[in-house]
Amino acid sequence: MERPIRSICIVGGGTAGWLTAAIIAARHASGSGRGLQITLVESETIGIIGVGEGTWPTMRSTLKKVGISETDFFRECNASFKHGAKFARWVTGQASDFYYHPLMLPEGFPGFDLAPYWMTYSDVQRDAPSFSNAVCFQEAVCELGLAPKLITTPEYAGVANYAYHLDAGRFAGFIRDHCVKKLGIRHIVDDVTEVISSDTGDIDSVQTRKSGRLEGDLFIDASGFRSLLLGETMGVPFVDRSDVLFIDRALAMQVPYDDKQSDIVPYTVSTAQKHGWIWDIGLQSRRGVGYVYSSNHTTADAALEELRAYVGDRHRDVQPREIKIACGHRQAFWKGNCVAVGLAGGFLEPLEASALVLIELSADLISTMLPATRETMAIVASRYNRTTQYRWDRIIDFLKLHYILSQRTDSNFWIDNRAPASIPESLKEQMELWRYRAPGDQDFTSNCEMFPAASYQYVLFGMGFRTDTRHQPLDRDIGGARRAFAQNETLKARWTKTLPKNRHLIDKIKELGLQKI
Amino acid sequence: MRLVELSRSEHRELRIRADRVEACAASQHLIPIVVGEFRKAATQYPIVFAKHPETGRFAPYVLSGLGLEENLFWSGTELDVAYVPLNVRRQPFYVGTDHAPHNDDSTAAANVLCIDLDHPCLDSSGTRTIVNADGSDSAYLKEILAILGELATGKKATEQFIAAALSLDLLAPIMLDIVLDDGTPLHVQGLYGLDEETFRQLDAAEIARLWKAGYLDLLYAVMIGSGQIFKLIRLKNQRIALSRAWQGNAS
Repeated sequence: MERPIRSICIVGGGTAGWLTAAIIAARHASGSGRGLQITLVESETIGIIGVGEGTWPTMRSTLKKVGISETDFFRECNASFKHGAKFARWVTGQASDFYYHPLMLPEGFPGFDLAPYWMTYSDVQRDAPSFSNAVCFQEAVCELGLAPKLITTPEYAGVANYAYHLDAGRFAGFIRDHCVKKLGIRHIVDDVTEVISSDTGDIDSVQTRKSGRLEGDLFIDASGFRSLLLGETMGVPFVDRSDVLFIDRALAMQVPYDDKQSDIVPYTVSTAQKHGWIWDIGLQSRRGVGYVYSSNHTTADAALEELRAYVGDRHRDVQPREIKIACGHRQAFWKGNCVAVGLAGGFLEPLEASALVLIELSADLISTMLPATRETMAIVASRYNRTTQYRWDRIIDFLKLHYILSQRTDSNFWIDNRAPASIPESLKEQMELWRYRAPGDQDFTSNCEMFPAASYQYVLFGMGFRTDTRHQPLDRDIGGARRAFAQNETLKARWTKTLPKNRHLIDKIKELGLQKI
Repeated sequence: MRLVELSRSEHRELRIRADRVEACAASQHLIPIVVGEFRKAATQYPIVFAKHPETGRFAPYVLSGLGLEENLFWSGTELDVAYVPLNVRRQPFYVGTDHAPHNDDSTAAANVLCIDLDHPCLDSSGTRTIVNADGSDSAYLKEILAILGELATGKKATEQFIAAALSLDLLAPIMLDIVLDDGTPLHVQGLYGLDEETFRQLDAAEIARLWKAGYLDLLYAVMIGSGQIFKLIRLKNQRIALSRAWQGNAS
């Protein structure tokens, strides 16, 4: 007899649980009373980790899809705009050393690839602009602290491509309210005391302290690092990836602004340190700052000293929170009738803000692939695992790229990071090819890629990697390249004059709201 | 622009040339209107909605040109059109807000009548004055006060209408893709009009609410006015033909 999938039980109510609930509910009409039933149980006693404060531009379409107003999001989540990331001191460690990874593709990309032209130009021209500055107008906009849109730009639309910085704790609560009020999700606040398996090895139900047994045809594990369902109950082992990425500790701080009108930096700043790097994320009311480091290379005390030096003396009294990070992921992400999202599936250092986007992508995939019956679930699970594993591998490659291009020699952390044995084969292969031509879409042929080839270009050329362009027929379209470079200068001149300051626009949005159209 | 509070004694000698008032709209392609003007405006212009650049808030306008700073109704001496919006006719007068603290209630902001002393229609050759010989308000000033009164009361009603239209998703970007007689493609950006598809799908209860609020007439005025776009295109093509003929003569 067919066993249809009618109900989902989500265990855990951090950003992962609620965002997943919202994405699935919006697609499967859970609010209508006729669609899929979704229950989310979250603990009263276990808090959320909540350090995921940077998003990808995907969050715009995610929020729109689940029916949230961008104005409300800014009003409730302490959110701000993000043009991309600025990486400081990653190459040489000098104070002047920085590059940008903006969220917009280079001018003309991918139809017209400016990289080889910039490469040739900067070979002969000593004062040539940086790659990102030559091909994208966002660096100039970032340096002036400007927002990516105007008050007249509709919700979720942008002048420049943008993502968000947000307060993870407030964000989880905000999505929760939307899920409960608008999307028809049953919310249970209780502790799960036991996970009950059936004879077939599936999860049958979860036992709660006060609310009885909660059943479901599919269980989603959003229980955080503990991985209560997938790890503990289903016994899926953890795959440690610290052989590639060494960071295993975070010291997180909330740093107040000097005054209420302080500028909000419209990009994530990542500043390399002796044994890791410091993130710096500007929200409306405070900055989120944290040092992620390798405990195999330094001590907690030394790390704290570096972090204190970064935030400055006037924040002496701010206490950091220490978080142990296990770099890696589960061997499978979907087993039986259980699939894990968020930290329950794994964790990587937040260098490219991959945590929230992975939740969005996982929830989207679960939502679109959701099997109609239990009988077809195994096929879906195996496809889901293949895609998700591929995504994790690509993120790991991309994060590692930042480390292998560094020239820092001030500690073993940086030197060890360049050891060939620590570099994935897939990345090594790409690096061989990129010696002779710039990364292109032909290097990324899956339909579930994480980073576009353009992102690799920004990091490679931002970090001083040189591609030997002698083998390319460059003179073919010099005119086209000139036009694209000139177009970028035109956009730069226009938008540095027209875009408002980041805080100015956010204040205005909170006061007046953005139009839907 | 130099706005000062109008004083019937201090400004009694001012002379205003009414024939120069319309010149201020010679290079305006959008002229703001209030809901009370919709019916008359629709007989002459498309009524469109655009966002205020500083607030993002929608306001209604008549569209009088197809390019920035173009008013196709401007003949060189006057606006050749059967309805001239209040916002043109009230020139050079404005309503200002007096924020100066008062004895009784410092939070109350009073409306004050202002005049733009830099306005080109202020000229000693003018025939209009603000006061009669005996010091009483002239018929001209009374007319201006009536116009400003209409604009002031219309402001709130217009905002309410827009809020109602937005709440029902009745506004949508206008997609205009025009090729002029000289082959120039014309893309109109940043303008919004009535989303007729959504409007037609409203249920009877919503239509009844719009009708009771007096908004149904306004929506139909917008709908009917939208056809005036063809008049603008015709005027634009006439200008092109004229300028071609001119260039033909010159060569």
